[in-house]
Amino acid sequence: MFWHDHVRLRRGWLSVFHEFMTLSVHNFSSRVWFGLLTLAPILILPVLVLLAPPDGNERAQLLQFFGRFHVLAIHLPIALLAMAPVLELAGRSRHFPYLLPSAGFLLGVATCGAIVAAVLGWCLARSGGYSGPLVTQHMWGGVAVAFAAWLCWVFRARSSESHLDPVYAIALLATVGLVSFTGYRGGQVSQGENHLTEHMPAQLRPLLGLPASEISETISSNGGPATFYAAHIQPVFTGHCVGCHGRAKHRANLRLYSYNAVMRGSKHGPVIKAGDPKGSKLFHRVTLPPTDDDFMPAQNKPPLSPNEVKLIELWISAGASGTQLADSVKDLPSDAAPLTAVAEVNFEQFDPVAIAKQRAGLALIVAQLQQRFPGALDYESRGSADLVINACLLGSKFGDNDLAALAPLSEHIVVADFSGTAITSSSSSALSAMKRLRSLRLMHTKITDATVQALAPLSQLESLNLFDTPATPAALTAIGHLPKLRHLYVHETKISPDAPMSEAMKEKIIF
Amino acid sequence: MTNSKANRQNPREPASELLPEEIYARLQAQTRRHFLRSFTAGLGTMFLGTLAPPLVSSSMAGEIDTNGMRRLDFTRDPKSPLAALPPQFAPRAKRVIYLHMAGAPSQLELFEHKPELTKLDGQDCPMSFLTGKRFAFINGVPKLLGAQYPFHQTGQSGQWISDRLPHLAKHIDDLCLIKSMRTDQFNHAPAQLLVQTGDARLGHPALGSWVLYGLGTENQNLPGFIVLLSGGNSPDGGKQLWGPGFLPSVYQGVQCRSHGEPVLYLDNPPKVSRSLRRSMLDAIDQINQQSYSEFGNPETVTRIAQYEMSFRMQMEATDAMDIRKEPDAVRAAYGSKPGESSFANNCLVARRLAERGVRYIQLYHWGWDSHGSNAKEALNIGFADRCREVDQPMAALLADLKARGMMEDTLVVWGGEFGRTSMRENRGGQAMTLIGRDHNPGAFTIWMAGGGVKPGITFGQTDEMGYEIVKDPVEVRDLHATILYILGFDHHKLNYSYQGLDQKVTGVKPSRVVADVLA
Repeated sequence: MFWHDHVRLRRGWLSVFHEFMTLSVHNFSSRVWFGLLTLAPILILPVLVLLAPPDGNERAQLLQFFGRFHVLAIHLPIALLAMAPVLELAGRSRHFPYLLPSAGFLLGVATCGAIVAAVLGWCLARSGGYSGPLVTQHMWGGVAVAFAAWLCWVFRARSSESHLDPVYAIALLATVGLVSFTGYRGGQVSQGENHLTEHMPAQLRPLLGLPASEISETISSNGGPATFYAAHIQPVFTGHCVGCHGRAKHRANLRLYSYNAVMRGSKHGPVIKAGDPKGSKLFHRVTLPPTDDDFMPAQNKPPLSPNEVKLIELWISAGASGTQLADSVKDLPSDAAPLTAVAEVNFEQFDPVAIAKQRAGLALIVAQLQQRFPGALDYESRGSADLVINACLLGSKFGDNDLAALAPLSEHIVVADFSGTAITSSSSSALSAMKRLRSLRLMHTKITDATVQALAPLSQLESLNLFDTPATPAALTAIGHLPKLRHLYVHETKISPDAPMSEAMKEKIIF
Repeated sequence: MTNSKANRQNPREPASELLPEEIYARLQAQTRRHFLRSFTAGLGTMFLGTLAPPLVSSSMAGEIDTNGMRRLDFTRDPKSPLAALPPQFAPRAKRVIYLHMAGAPSQLELFEHKPELTKLDGQDCPMSFLTGKRFAFINGVPKLLGAQYPFHQTGQSGQWISDRLPHLAKHIDDLCLIKSMRTDQFNHAPAQLLVQTGDARLGHPALGSWVLYGLGTENQNLPGFIVLLSGGNSPDGGKQLWGPGFLPSVYQGVQCRSHGEPVLYLDNPPKVSRSLRRSMLDAIDQINQQSYSEFGNPETVTRIAQYEMSFRMQMEATDAMDIRKEPDAVRAAYGSKPGESSFANNCLVARRLAERGVRYIQLYHWGWDSHGSNAKEALNIGFADRCREVDQPMAALLADLKARGMMEDTLVVWGGEFGRTSMRENRGGQAMTLIGRDHNPGAFTIWMAGGGVKPGITFGQTDEMGYEIVKDPVEVRDLHATILYILGFDHHKLNYSYQGLDQKVTGVKPSRVVADVLA
């Protein structure tokens, strides 16, 4: 063939380009046509990247539509380019000589694929709200791969069945290297900067000089865990937001990977208004109804939990400081107590498997005692391993011995009703062992002051019912110190409104 | 050994020792073509299986309901269909006492203080009140009607209340008033059905039935859902108000009488001893068991359970309903007189039932339909009597529950089925001699107390005429959702599969828990 022969004749370094320059249009072979047609877009690509770089703004729908096909298109050229050296080597072995001629065709297809992928990639980067060094590097990598693939295709003409041209071999290896680099950067853009090492086993991490875990890295890079921002706020952003608003992707030009970046805001201006959560765009967007178009995190990514929202609200109300110390903020929402939002309630969700695990230790004893006291003992709810005992329906059949049988479960009982049972003061220690009791009813029982005084260690007790018991004012002193007590019922006891008692007690006591 | 012998006798089943050869022979018949076909088809089937929406049958049996949520399991041992089950999450209350004022009391004479309306008393009602509205009786242009009784502020919360409820006024700081209730029914029976069953049509389970279905009841010797009537008449909605609808009928409300036998024919007839009754029941149970194993109708189990419960109830129900066992002082506080059928007696019985672990106690007091068409239904006559009948007992009930510490886990709800108009009724377009108001589904007032609701607050607001809601409307289904939330349920999840839908008391329209009234 024409092209082939000429290269064979003159193996000058720039012979291939020389051919383009010197040949008349009428003599062009199909191979030259192909070379020129593919070179044109390759030359346009860097112009696009230079003149219309990704700047973090979202653009035309159509551009985005095409751009989304980038991810689909890139895998073909990647695989083909990785395959090229394999074919070159295998084709020169005794077993697979028939593979050798296909390598050139492969490179041609790879070049086309790389060009299509690169153009689509530019569409995506330009229109999808990307910016930052990762994207830029990835784009130049893509342009370079397309050009390198084209060069390989051209240089392949220098090789023959018997001879592997060193320039071609080096170009091929360099291309594979470029593909790897570009692919890695692309992964970083779409999956996160540390997508390869994120779940790396902790034993291997030091080999790469990585910190033992990802979380500590986040904290240490934000001014130490002592600040409220680093301890509570950045982890929320890192967990939910930086995928799109991070170092790599800056959707709407917003970056949430550090305090300074957060305060810098987006292309629309600041997203945090210190002291005013409702006026802060960021807070507004995460608190919209999930069905709202503007709700963040977008695209059905898991929303922030009510606690996380509360944390952000607290942080902004407190001045959105980056230096405020973590322990200086009070009333942190705890994970245990569900937040009752002002306007909407949160239905507690539970995981049956986790609950079963929590209950595993006591399930057997609970089942036995449920047999013994039918209908009296059960879990507080389907989502809890806490227990509620209601012995009042067993009446006088329930005595001190029965109460003693509950001993293995003492720590799990949160609500107990022994009204009308036959328990006496000998149950004092059994009752005082129920350290987590919130509510205790002893109506119509024979329990005395001694029992009431034994309740002093029940630090969680909120409600104590002594209705119609022999209790006297002497009992009040002991329970006056219960920190959480809110209601004390003493109707039909010897305790009268005239009995001496503290002011605090007067507010809790109900006659 | 006996097994393999039995197998050999049956020529259709291969003997166990021949089984490996049988398997081998079958495998011999399998060709590569079989493998390829079933493998590829199988892969495709597995993939399609993940794509397909769950079929009705699998949704009925599976863990996911038709709302796409994980189903809560309400199955129980068929022998104890009312066994207590833990709620979905930690509850704020474990039982409900619902005081339904059948006929719809006028909020404008009780809780809604509207001085502007009083100022305009006797003037023609503005047309904007009438266009597009349907009334039961009002014709033409009625006159505005100011409050018939003086209002005053009381309690630390400083809420307004009329002088008709002097006893309840002392508990105003315990009440959570919702003044922005709304319904879409303007006739008694459908409106009562909507309030009590969540649907204006017949055939839906009462809220009490839903609660009983979800939570069961603690005391197996008493029904878990008890209904007590007073006021001389049954509510217009009839017994469907406490019917089980499509739930198994074991969850229906049991109407008890407040004097005489609590449940008719509960006592043994003369000369029938308890042991004779027992052996009778055993025989009937056997027959029912046979019938159940043959046809598998769950109603048969219900029947067995009902017989058994009646037997246990013979002792306990009589005791629970017997208010003579209360001290005189307590009876005096309620104003109850044993032997008559009164709201006072019912309130006292309600407390006794609540103490005994009854889950849902529903009271109806009839006679609040104050149209002004006769003396009994006039705001200036019959209405005052109704107020007197309920005021002291309600207040006593609240005081009693409070002293016993039961306000902590009992939710008390008071309300009618709709409100009354700001206009004076002019039946047939004529001026009437007695004073009354027509039905107003657009706004009415209820109150709740106890179990996890904010005490001493008012939620929602109507306009200056008390005619339409201007702030925070609460639909009946929102009230239901809130009650279920207080009892520890997400209303979406308390459901029952019927006619291909996971039915719930709040129906299919969006409903919300009124979080603002929760403490």
